[in-house]
Amino acid sequence: MQRHLLRRRALIASAGLAAAAPALAACGPDIASDDESGASELLKAPDRTKGEITIWDRSGDLFEVFEGTIAAFNAKYPDITVNHVAVDIDAKLQNTLITGADVPDGVFLDDAKVGGFTDYLWDLGDVLAPYAADIAQQKLDVNTVAGGVYGVPFDLDPGLLFYNATALEAAGIDVDAIATYDDLLQAARDYQAAVPGAAPIHLEQSAFLGQLQLEMYASQLGTSIADADGNLRLDTPEFEQILTFLDTVRAEGLGTRAEYLTPTDIAELDNGNQVFYPWAIWFSFAPQQVLTETTGDWRATQLPAWETGGARSGAMGGSSFVLPKDGKNADLAWLFYEFLMFDPAGYAAVWGPGEVYPEGLATSIPSYTPAADPAKPLYSEITALGGQDLWTVATEAGAQIPGGTPTPAWWTGAVDYLGNNVQRMLDGDMTPQEVLAQSSEDIQTNLVDRQ
Amino acid sequence: MTAPTATATRRAPRAGRGTARLRRRAAPYLFVLPFVAIFAAFSVYPLFFTARLSFTDWRGTGAATWVGWDNYTYLLTNPAFWSSLGNSAILWLLIVPVQIVLGILVAVLLNNAKLRLRGLYRVAFIVPFVTPLVAVAQIWVVLFDQRYGAVNAFLGLFGLPDTGWLTTSAWAKPTLALLFLWKTTGFIVIILLSGLQSINASIYEAADLDGASKARQLWNITVPLLRRTIGFAVVLQTLAVFQMFAEPFVVTQGGPYNSTTTAGYYLYNHITRADLGTGAANSFLLVVLVMALSLLFVRLLRAKD
Repeated sequence: MQRHLLRRRALIASAGLAAAAPALAACGPDIASDDESGASELLKAPDRTKGEITIWDRSGDLFEVFEGTIAAFNAKYPDITVNHVAVDIDAKLQNTLITGADVPDGVFLDDAKVGGFTDYLWDLGDVLAPYAADIAQQKLDVNTVAGGVYGVPFDLDPGLLFYNATALEAAGIDVDAIATYDDLLQAARDYQAAVPGAAPIHLEQSAFLGQLQLEMYASQLGTSIADADGNLRLDTPEFEQILTFLDTVRAEGLGTRAEYLTPTDIAELDNGNQVFYPWAIWFSFAPQQVLTETTGDWRATQLPAWETGGARSGAMGGSSFVLPKDGKNADLAWLFYEFLMFDPAGYAAVWGPGEVYPEGLATSIPSYTPAADPAKPLYSEITALGGQDLWTVATEAGAQIPGGTPTPAWWTGAVDYLGNNVQRMLDGDMTPQEVLAQSSEDIQTNLVDRQ
Repeated sequence: MTAPTATATRRAPRAGRGTARLRRRAAPYLFVLPFVAIFAAFSVYPLFFTARLSFTDWRGTGAATWVGWDNYTYLLTNPAFWSSLGNSAILWLLIVPVQIVLGILVAVLLNNAKLRLRGLYRVAFIVPFVTPLVAVAQIWVVLFDQRYGAVNAFLGLFGLPDTGWLTTSAWAKPTLALLFLWKTTGFIVIILLSGLQSINASIYEAADLDGASKARQLWNITVPLLRRTIGFAVVLQTLAVFQMFAEPFVVTQGGPYNSTTTAGYYLYNHITRADLGTGAANSFLLVVLVMALSLLFVRLLRAKD
């Protein structure tokens, strides 16, 4: 009897739940309505200079750098209070934008991720218009989606060839003679002959960073994984040329395979086995903060060109500032970023000497070309680079970065295919042609077609 | 004239009894109402919302298009989905049986009243469980570095070659399993220890009198009487392994070549790409799988009352 009663109650409860299910499922955020079509609107510059803004930055050195700029901003805009918050942006931004709760007014975001959030962001085409002609084309490209500009370009991260000057000089290698990647291969062979057991060129072992580095090489050739319309353009002679170079480094035993600044990488840099590091300018962090034995031995120069006379740099990584439409004072946040990026007092506060970087923020250069003037350095010579004038090297390299290299919204997802397949090639399990064909097919099926 | 009054007088107490009975009947429901409300808001509603989401291509904003079973079809025909389940299954095999055997042995040792410093050992076993994973992960990366890690340095003393513990598909899963074992076995020990303490000591005394060895007591008394607790631990760890995300995220980022992309990590990938419909479908498939596995284990390990 008791069991019978329980069964009947369970049946009634199940029926109730089943009846409530459609009602429950229909509640909540309206995911089937066309009310919010996602069409972005143009942000207008504010006609007020008073209020409070909430700015999200990722924690770490850059948070401290931006924290140090607020005083300069308030000198110009004393009535705008900046609520500066260190946030795990990757973990929190998406949820915050979807729910619309406590949305910040401005957010620091990797360039590669801007495209994925455009439906939530202000189109900055209007407010950026006075500056657009002076912003590095590559940065405008990565922030442009379907004609709208969704980020205030922050830094330009030119790829440079970092090299251990002391070790190379001891081996009789003339770095100034390296003008093309063929020259780099020959220099590596010569160094290996002089230092048996050395594997002079860095081969990145992280699938993500390996793909980022691949895009740096591609950027030099004025191409990228997708065009401005989001169409895949991977299986091309340019990418084949790059992968063939990397495969040659592997096949001839000229490369040190390691993840960026992991113990193996650091040890091989410090013991003189790994002396060439084609990487973004932010590698300068390593001689300054990580390398112990060879700090002071490293220098930077422009990347070799793929063909004689070709561009000597490409972009690798970079970030921008985005303004969510649900931010209450996004217009005032625009004033904050406008000051930091386009006002001489602002960009001097960002890149100039400060508490975190006493010699200046030498891990990037401004993307606003008047601020990246080789003749007007924002940071001084870098002691860890033997007192080298990195500013001049970087700004001259940055000026050569070709445009026309947009970043698709699915770029990070491509790491599962392209990034992994590049690693398989470096394991000797795939040819460059196989990497391009297989990755193109997988990306098209799993990412492009599912947008 | 008196009759109606008398009737009214008789009815009044009956009405009072009815209200009291109603109150008595309603009381339990009122007591559980806060839980039901919270459960409905944070569990039932998200469940149905996710179910609906799994049939759309919603990317977190704008209009969603009803795509029917497309997300499920995509997943069930996608090698990456099956690979993630395969990775989780292998991790389960590497972790759960080892953890249960190890947990029983350690729990039996810690349950021994003659063992000195028992409290200290119990704390020592639970410390890894409460240590922040990010800190542990960094230590793991350094320990298992291919060329300069302590593990390869130690093995090198015996002439063994360097192994890419975290950089080769063959070794990444066992290395990750080792991390998971190290971090969570203490928790399983505590669960099993509580089960052990509920076993009547007189059973062991009787076995001693009958001349049963300690090994025989372990196999014939401890393990059978711990079946319910073991079953609970197995279900708990099955859930944990199939939902495992943080460990591969901080140690291997799912690599190399997705060899440590667990079911939970694969699901996360959909979410980060704002492919919420596919993510929702993936989560439902996982729920079904984990529920089936849990029921299977519960049935297999159910104690005979």
